[in-house]
Amino acid sequence: MITLTINGKKQQVDVEADTPLLWVLRDNVGLTGTKFGCGMGLCGACTVLLDGEPMRSCALPVSAVGSKAITTIEGLSKDRSHPVQQAWIAENVPQCGYCQSGMILSAVALLKKKPQPTDADIDAGMTNICRCGTYSKVRKAIHRAAGNDKT
Amino acid sequence: MGHSPSADTPAVSRRDFLYTAATLGSGLALGLRLNAQQAGAGQRPGAAQPTRPPEAFIRIAPDGTISITTPAVEMGQGGHTSLPMIMMEELGGDWRKLQVADAPADRVYNNPLNNRQTTVGSFAVRGWYNELRRMSAAAREMLVAAAAQNWGVAASECTAANSVITHTPSGRTTSYGSVAAAAALLPVPQQPALKKPEDFKVIGTSPARVDVPNKVDGSAQYGIDKRLPNMLYGAIRLAPAVTGKLKSFDDTAARAIKGFHSTVALDNAVIVLASSWWQAKKALEKVKTEFDPGRLGGVDSAKVSSLLRAGFTEAGTTTLNNGAAERVLAAAGHVIESDYEVPYLAHACMEPMNCTAQVTSEGCEVWCGTQAPQDAQAAAAEASGHPAERVKVHTLYLGGGFGRRGESDYVGQAVRAAKAAGRPVKLLWSREEDMQHDYYRPAAAIRFRASVAADNTVEALECRVVTASEPNFGANRPPSYTGGMSDCRYQFPNFRVTGVNKDVGLRFGFWRSVNLSHNPFMFEGFIDELAVLNKQDPYQFRRSLLQHEQGLRQRAVLDLAAQKAGWGKAPAGRFQGIAVTEGFGSIVASVAEISARGDNIIIHRIVTAIDCGIAVHPANVLAQTEGGTMYALTAMASGEITLNNGAVQQSNFHDYPILIMSQAPVFEGHIVPSKEPPGGVGEPGTGSVMPAVANAIFAATGKRLRSLPLSRHNIELSVARA
Repeated sequence: MITLTINGKKQQVDVEADTPLLWVLRDNVGLTGTKFGCGMGLCGACTVLLDGEPMRSCALPVSAVGSKAITTIEGLSKDRSHPVQQAWIAENVPQCGYCQSGMILSAVALLKKKPQPTDADIDAGMTNICRCGTYSKVRKAIHRAAGNDKT
Repeated sequence: MGHSPSADTPAVSRRDFLYTAATLGSGLALGLRLNAQQAGAGQRPGAAQPTRPPEAFIRIAPDGTISITTPAVEMGQGGHTSLPMIMMEELGGDWRKLQVADAPADRVYNNPLNNRQTTVGSFAVRGWYNELRRMSAAAREMLVAAAAQNWGVAASECTAANSVITHTPSGRTTSYGSVAAAAALLPVPQQPALKKPEDFKVIGTSPARVDVPNKVDGSAQYGIDKRLPNMLYGAIRLAPAVTGKLKSFDDTAARAIKGFHSTVALDNAVIVLASSWWQAKKALEKVKTEFDPGRLGGVDSAKVSSLLRAGFTEAGTTTLNNGAAERVLAAAGHVIESDYEVPYLAHACMEPMNCTAQVTSEGCEVWCGTQAPQDAQAAAAEASGHPAERVKVHTLYLGGGFGRRGESDYVGQAVRAAKAAGRPVKLLWSREEDMQHDYYRPAAAIRFRASVAADNTVEALECRVVTASEPNFGANRPPSYTGGMSDCRYQFPNFRVTGVNKDVGLRFGFWRSVNLSHNPFMFEGFIDELAVLNKQDPYQFRRSLLQHEQGLRQRAVLDLAAQKAGWGKAPAGRFQGIAVTEGFGSIVASVAEISARGDNIIIHRIVTAIDCGIAVHPANVLAQTEGGTMYALTAMASGEITLNNGAVQQSNFHDYPILIMSQAPVFEGHIVPSKEPPGGVGEPGTGSVMPAVANAIFAATGKRLRSLPLSRHNIELSVARA
């Protein structure tokens, strides 16, 4: 049994130690908002926060999580009220939406480090893949969440 | 899977829909009937259209909830918003009371344009526009008539808007929910009055997309998210060559992996079932397999390229022959000849292929993202042994489609595994399987030959298109892969387009914008060559070819892009390239503004204009055009699927990289105002940006790029922010 702190709640899971956190969240805990995209930490669809730091959960063995607090998209707010979620809604960012859980959590982490990010900060900090090409809206939404509404 | 439109008359089970309608809100749902002739009128002659009971599309509950079933699935293109907009416009419904659901597999949802229940070809809005308006307007008239009857007044004295009916002289009002039950009993108007475009209140606005809220909190359900009690998880290994067959396997070592349940052998794959997907994947790695590569054995990319080029001198099928290009070119003193080539491409949807299936003695159910629910149903029927009417397809959100999810290979696999296991199965492909078992955008090559008259005008142009596989839209049709040239608007006195198919066996598919994903890069590149040869400005040269009546609409799009981009007025050190394409009922022109630092090409901005007729949701039109542009730039920069002994060599995003934020250029989109019927918008944005960038690279460097991707030329794309 491994004990995890997920979205503020302690939970015990019965999985092999090498199981990537992604699959524990999706298949054992039932939090399917975190997505599988590549399995190699390349695309960022599986991004969650570990003590506030963005982490690609598809390549992270659950045994490496330790006591760090895991935040998934479901734990960001109860009612889509997190400023980044609100900005995403205001800018109508998602298309297929599959990458957006990871995008949003990456943006949350970026804004924590850089509360007023420049375009260059966004370029450097947002490395998730969006196949629909919503990047300009992601950028606008990050500026909006930072209070720098460029639109 | 076949792509030919079905010619038979679909049998509609009306009873099922009435039953569904009756169960909603204690039997007080609005049920409407239009006769078959009315419903299918004016569309594709020769193919019988299904009767479309409007209650299959609109239901109004006593509490006023308007439930709309959309015939288009949602894969990011906005179908769950744009089709309800068209309906709510004519219905006069309150947008806040809207609920949207995916359609089950049923022929009543066949798109009037292709008579298939597919969300492909940028067909949704342009195919459904008239029919949904008529259906919704009839519903509005029935609701008004019911209210008027209640009040004992003339319907002509009543108006309807925002789900409220008002008797104008008295000021009395009632709600749609209150009169829906009575309205359902009234005769259906066969010629309902449609709004004039100038009276539109919904169409032409950009409401928030209905799918957005659930896509920011993790609650949106995609195929991959389906869970069933007692479900097993499946991981698959397909034959490395897509034409391959399974010869033998040994799963002895896999059985020791915790959670292992069983191995299911398919004709061309093995699936390992386990208690979790991770366990299934780990166990699959322990399975030894032997495959026969089949037809693609021994085929590599060099062979594909040489086969394509061999096609340049073969007869082929001529799809356009204006004048006498062959004779003029044979007699010409000087013929300009250029060969272009583009590689295979993968769709690389963010959500790898997956399907969850359950097979019992009673029937089969599948849950998946699909662009073709009836094809998924047919695949599940075949795999389960149940007739189609016992197969229920639940369509969930698609984590990208782009044409890939028009295929149903993954559905049949999941059903076979579920049937073998006697338990529900969620089959999920790894990214590697997804990359290596796609239905690929075909590799293609074109040889252009042209001669120029003494006055510098082009006197003859010949295009010979060779593709590595031909999308088969149906028997006895000319090759479709010459599209973008055989139907082009440029006028030349002698103009010939020929297509040659050199199918090597790698399965092909429809890839966002289909022909426009390959032909415009090559054709608009050669048009640029002709402009330069004639010492003409590339924009003015294109304009000069569009002076005739059928060229004016395209010319206007070109003009708007050029004007917004400040054509000819780029800042010092920056260079522009331009291109225009037409397809899917829409016209798109792009201007790329770049600078060059050695082999590093810096895109400063892409300015694009689109004429898609009436823009139903302008913000989404631009989002789709921008998305198509980014999809194309990924292909242009590095997109290439190569073969070795018939197997695809790329496997994941490290060797099939996708453009990310830091590589996405500044995009400016502009819509040509129009009152023409809507065109498609999902795909058209993909075609013009590749040649626009390539032409700008020529302007900057003098280097004419005749093949893709740019990485093959050691050219790196980067961007500059304003």
